[in-house]
Amino acid sequence: MKKILLLTVFLLVAVFAFSSSKIVLNMVQVFTSPSRTEVLQNIINQFEALHPNVQINLISPPYSTAYQKIYLMLSTNQPLDIVEVGDWSLEGVVELGKLVDLRPYIATWDASNDIVPGLMKAVSVTGGIPYIIPNGVYAKALFYRPDILVKYGITTPPKTMDELYSDCLKITDPKKNQYGFDFRGTGLPTNFIDIIITSYINDIDPNNMYKLTNGQLWFKDPRTLEGLKKYIDFYKYTAPKDSINWGFDEQVNAFVAGTTPFLFQDPDTTGLLKTMLKPDQWMTAPLPVGPSGKVYPSYGFGGWGITTYSKNKDMAWEFIKFFTTPKISAYFCKDYGALPVLKSVYESDPYFSQGVFKAWQYMFEHPETYVFTSYPLNNKKWTEWNEFQQDTMQQVLLGNMTPQEALNKWYDFWKDAFSM
Amino acid sequence: MVRLLERRVLHVRRGAKSAPLFIFWMILPVILIVSIFTFYPTINGIILSFENYSVFNFANIHFVGLKNFKKILVDPLFWTALWNTLWWIVLSVAFQFVLGFGLALLMREPFKGRGIYAGFVFYPWALSGFAIGILWSWLLNGQFGFINDILVKLRIVSQSINFLSDPSWAFFSVILVNVWYGIPFFAIMLLAALQSIPEELYESAQIDGAGTFSRFFHVTVPYVSSTIFATLLLRVIWVMNFPDVIYGMTRGGPGGTTNILATYMINIVYYKNDYSLASAVGVFIITILMVYSIFYLQFTSKHGSGEF
Repeated sequence: MKKILLLTVFLLVAVFAFSSSKIVLNMVQVFTSPSRTEVLQNIINQFEALHPNVQINLISPPYSTAYQKIYLMLSTNQPLDIVEVGDWSLEGVVELGKLVDLRPYIATWDASNDIVPGLMKAVSVTGGIPYIIPNGVYAKALFYRPDILVKYGITTPPKTMDELYSDCLKITDPKKNQYGFDFRGTGLPTNFIDIIITSYINDIDPNNMYKLTNGQLWFKDPRTLEGLKKYIDFYKYTAPKDSINWGFDEQVNAFVAGTTPFLFQDPDTTGLLKTMLKPDQWMTAPLPVGPSGKVYPSYGFGGWGITTYSKNKDMAWEFIKFFTTPKISAYFCKDYGALPVLKSVYESDPYFSQGVFKAWQYMFEHPETYVFTSYPLNNKKWTEWNEFQQDTMQQVLLGNMTPQEALNKWYDFWKDAFSM
Repeated sequence: MVRLLERRVLHVRRGAKSAPLFIFWMILPVILIVSIFTFYPTINGIILSFENYSVFNFANIHFVGLKNFKKILVDPLFWTALWNTLWWIVLSVAFQFVLGFGLALLMREPFKGRGIYAGFVFYPWALSGFAIGILWSWLLNGQFGFINDILVKLRIVSQSINFLSDPSWAFFSVILVNVWYGIPFFAIMLLAALQSIPEELYESAQIDGAGTFSRFFHVTVPYVSSTIFATLLLRVIWVMNFPDVIYGMTRGGPGGTTNILATYMINIVYYKNDYSLASAVGVFIITILMVYSIFYLQFTSKHGSGEF
């Protein structure tokens, strides 16, 4: 009896000692979806297999409440080691003072030279300091449905905004529930509004989406009003009225159903479409250019940071490094659909320069036409702007506000935000 | 233990000096629970409304006076939400009550299959309000909705109606769904009250020559009036604090046209991440409900139906 008791105690101690020797990392993702969670879990499993003494707990809150959870966890020092942050919220999260300055880690990291040129600068939103290592790049392209368009005699994707509008108009027939443009009315449609408006202007400052190269705001420029009116026309004459309530999910549903065969979206949409449509049913093309001969897409990104209060910062960094190896980065981007952050992936894997990814490749290779432009993400009023623009835009679409009134309000907003 | 309690109760009944202490210990758990789960969040919410508490600002929270209230009062969306809240309550509760009462009267009479029928009437009450909102948002969808499909196929309309994106339809649609959802509450409560009315009262009234309407207004309504007043009081409070259906269907859109104060408050948390601003809206809601409850209770007690 004594022996059994001793053995039990020994085993319990051994189990306890064994379990307590494991390094546990808590990691939270922002852009949660079932397929993305599966991909991340597979990557975690591979890392754990290489590091048997490490256990990573993946926290996957729904996207809609992810930042609230992250803010709360960081503010109250809840166990968290690796945090995902997207570009639009990076400044706010960094301001909490709970993310590690990654410069010392990057200084000793050989692969840092492999990151796409300019990307580390782009993610260094606050004071030029990198607080995250990017895990994927996002930029809008035109998704279209050749199988639907061919029925209306459209065999090539539109190259200009005017062509897009006339194609959309041509196929729109509400009685058949057929529309053209996959409009985004809610869920922070900033990108969608700006892509169309700015395509009417040929001198946007690439460092600031809301300024001209002469340093002035463009909201009072006559070309802006023209662009905004075109955006409204897309809604009025080529999109379902319901799309005033559409966010990402509704956009994708309508595209898949064929109701709206023209869609501006990010590359991560490819991950979803692969599972919902046959390969010959959808394709991508570069964004149509505006009357200015240009279009101004923006780089979006997400990335991994480390918390200042993490007890396992070095292991967290090991994981981030592992995630940013060519093999893992390619796997993540292929399955999820983001654009890779490493040069070597583009060079070694033709997947990212062919097929549906060819459109982005083309846009990157023609920077004089597709001018990748930065948003003022480090401005204190940035987070307020997205909701403000959405609300005012909806009032315009409902006819409660004129386009000129909206532009005046936007002008006042940014004049105040930039202290001009 | 039971004996001890019995002795204590007897002791209290005899008017012993320790009675107040005993009563205090008995109600203490309730006071604690209510304090922790109701009073503390309420008081904390009121304090928050005078601060600058947001997810971007956990580190530098301080008193900002009436800033949040001023910010809300100049927001046109707040006034739309306030006005909508009034209509949301009046129309929802009025139709829920009338239809619920009607169904309760029908179900009081025995008929074949009453149990199954009652099950159908009561089942919406068993579902989550948010789930119902989502369900109806798809039924009323402008492109793929079942209801539009039926209307078009029956040639009642030539093209789909934008139930949720046309402001003139959207608010009507969310109220309609809320009416559908709330009918069972009145039906259940009033059916229980109706079943407690002694049959002799109707027999006496009939002997005195009372007709159907007379029996309804002079026997049925007075007998269940305390239930009617209690359910109306509760329902108004619940409906005002019931953003579930609207949030599931429109999230207060398009352009805030279906916002009530509760969804307006949620949107502040969701989009602005500003808890203090949202708390200020919460203070408005509490104030409105308190004023309403005081007037309502005074009115009902004056009219002899205030004890429920």
